[in-house]
Amino acid sequence: MSKAEAKPENQFEPKIIAFLCNWCTYAGADLAGTGRKEYQANVRIIKLPCTGGIDPLFLIKAFERGADGILVSGCHPGDCHYNSGNYHARRRWNVFRPLLEFCGINPDRIQFSWISAAEGGKWVETINGIVDAVRELGPFESYQKLNTIGPETTGEATAASGETG
Amino acid sequence: MIEELRKKAEELLKNDTVKVVFGYGEGSVPERTRPVFITKPEDVNKLTWNKYCVYNLTTYLKRQETRKLGKPAIIVKGCDARTIIVLLKECQIKREDVYILGVTCDGVGDPLATKCESCDVHTPRIYDDLVGEKKENKEVPFEERYAELDEYEKLGEKEKWEFWQKQFSKCIKCYACSNMCPLCFCDRCIVEKNQPQWIDSSAHARGNLSWNVTRAYHLAGRCINCEECQRVCPVDIPLNLLNKKLAKEAEKNFDYRPGYSVDDELAMSTYKEEDSQEFFK
Amino acid sequence: MEKLLNKNKFDTLIAGLKKQGYKTVAPKKDNRLVTLEEVQDASEISLDHVITNNSIKEFFFPKTEKILSYTLDKNKVEMEEPKGFAVKSVIFGTRPCDAFSLPVMDKVFNWDCSDKFWVERREAITIVTISCDKSDSYCFCTSVGLAPDAKQGSDVLLTKISNDEYLVETVTEKGENLVKEMESVFSDPPGTPDRQVATVEEKFDLKKIKPWLDDNFEHDVWDEFSNKCIGCGACTFVCPTCHCFDIVDECTMTKGDRVKNWDGCQFTMFTMHTSGHNPRSTQGMRWRQRIMHKFKYYVEKFDSTLCVGCGRCSRVCPADMNISEMLELIETEAGK
Repeated sequence: MSKAEAKPENQFEPKIIAFLCNWCTYAGADLAGTGRKEYQANVRIIKLPCTGGIDPLFLIKAFERGADGILVSGCHPGDCHYNSGNYHARRRWNVFRPLLEFCGINPDRIQFSWISAAEGGKWVETINGIVDAVRELGPFESYQKLNTIGPETTGEATAASGETG
Repeated sequence: MIEELRKKAEELLKNDTVKVVFGYGEGSVPERTRPVFITKPEDVNKLTWNKYCVYNLTTYLKRQETRKLGKPAIIVKGCDARTIIVLLKECQIKREDVYILGVTCDGVGDPLATKCESCDVHTPRIYDDLVGEKKENKEVPFEERYAELDEYEKLGEKEKWEFWQKQFSKCIKCYACSNMCPLCFCDRCIVEKNQPQWIDSSAHARGNLSWNVTRAYHLAGRCINCEECQRVCPVDIPLNLLNKKLAKEAEKNFDYRPGYSVDDELAMSTYKEEDSQEFFK
Repeated sequence: MEKLLNKNKFDTLIAGLKKQGYKTVAPKKDNRLVTLEEVQDASEISLDHVITNNSIKEFFFPKTEKILSYTLDKNKVEMEEPKGFAVKSVIFGTRPCDAFSLPVMDKVFNWDCSDKFWVERREAITIVTISCDKSDSYCFCTSVGLAPDAKQGSDVLLTKISNDEYLVETVTEKGENLVKEMESVFSDPPGTPDRQVATVEEKFDLKKIKPWLDDNFEHDVWDEFSNKCIGCGACTFVCPTCHCFDIVDECTMTKGDRVKNWDGCQFTMFTMHTSGHNPRSTQGMRWRQRIMHKFKYYVEKFDSTLCVGCGRCSRVCPADMNISEMLELIETEAGK
């Protein structure tokens, strides 16, 4: 990839976990791929049926397993495949995000977006945006330090890739 | 007021309206009361009422041990009555299965509990019978109700993190907070499920953060601020700050306050098309 | 050996201990709690309390600890045992009831196998106890055969003899060595010191408890007393002698830790079988287990009561259940 050439040495490469809905954003990401669009390769996608089914615990688990940033993305309001899943999700994130912020977690590490199946370009922009933002913030060391007893999270990205026991 | 309570309780037991009265009795020291379950009319003298009646007795509506005593009459303060409204709305109890003995209240605890400082339910909003002189439920402005949060909200990101890490590090995972909470009624809590183990059962930094955040989040738009979790915490974690923060966000974003009306829609099981999405890209 | 320690020497003592390579743990006040935790100098120490909120147990048997780490790959399993968990320390200013919990728990941690985490810490830690100069209505050490100035379990016992002075009595060789190491801070004691020790009322007769328990596994009192219990584990976790634990693996597919965590018999899940059957299905049964374990089973197995009368369980109980009240009730039942 051309960007890699321009990459400064020892640049921090954040691990971004993206929880995507199957119907819109995942298709949008796919479109970016089939359209041969380039974006930073820091994102690991987890495909779920609907943003309405994304429990806040998924986010906590991702951080526990070494994520530096998280993206939750689904269909635009009104476009949900299940009619109202994204509306329910929006309610949830409206309270969960301030809660994490209140506990001292930078809200820029958790981002939300609506990306439709036709918005490959928006997917590219969103990913580049979050990767840059989180790279700026640096590794999420304060959370990873909590792992003193549990498994270490250094090394290869095992984050939220279904490796839980 | 005590006499009136006892008379009511006696009456209810005598005419078999209820099988048991959940109330407050004298505690092991004068500064404490304890829950009592009166099943015989001749025992009503065990009931008491004073400023140490801080408990939210509605938690016993969820416990099998007290449920099996039969249909209860339950003594509730205005704040506790809000729990009953939430329990009704969440289909945990049927209205006809519980007799609500409301008491009017000027505040409990010594010093006065934080929850009482901005109380707007001196008279319960739901009851079958009311004991004590009816008091006006004055509206308290939004800012005043959440004033306790101000000093924490204005902390920087790092300070917030350090404050809460220090608090959570004390957690011993005794689960008194969730066991006491009348609205934590799941038969099996998420923390007790281990396939997969979403929340580490260990009381280490990682497990304590995920537990405390999840406990609070599960009460979003539901917590009625009875502060029982905070009162019972043996290691003194200010848990109610988290609950209050969520209540504030629910009110700010959804214009919703739980436990005020049986007719409204629960904040987290509904949505509005115009809900805020300022941070969505 | 008897010595005298003046309060104004605390500074030198704590600094001296640090110099000798000891980690010092002492009561520290933070908001509403007084807890035993690590201190850096004497100014942090608080002595104006009846008893610390946390018990001494967590310094020997922590609420959570790694007992094993492992890595897995296709061909092999590698295991690593933790090291360096036993740190040379002094616990300063704990209470006699807490100190006594140690010899009581030694019996179970050295029973059919010896728990190295407990044993090695026991060797590394020296206990300097301060006799209670006050008590509250929850204390009942005298009812379980102890006293506010009991020596069992301590290495050194300090007892207040005036506003600023403590009588220092060494109890074990370890204690004696510690006092010798710190010799310069101590002076000679007066001939007839005036020991300021709290009085703790005797609430029940321990001798009457076990015979009643032997005969009354089934009794209405269990359910009646415990119907207000909300089933949290606070009582067991603050108890200096409750020692149940649970072992869990916290792992990914390639590596993990085996972790030992406190557990408690008051939890519904404690005895839940995989089948869904729960032999202790009600709170009454679980409450009975707590009393039986402390005052019957442990006595039969180890010839010792598993309760030191600190009263912490009653202080923290969200529903104000009081263990000494329960035992008084048993005494009354036994007299019937």
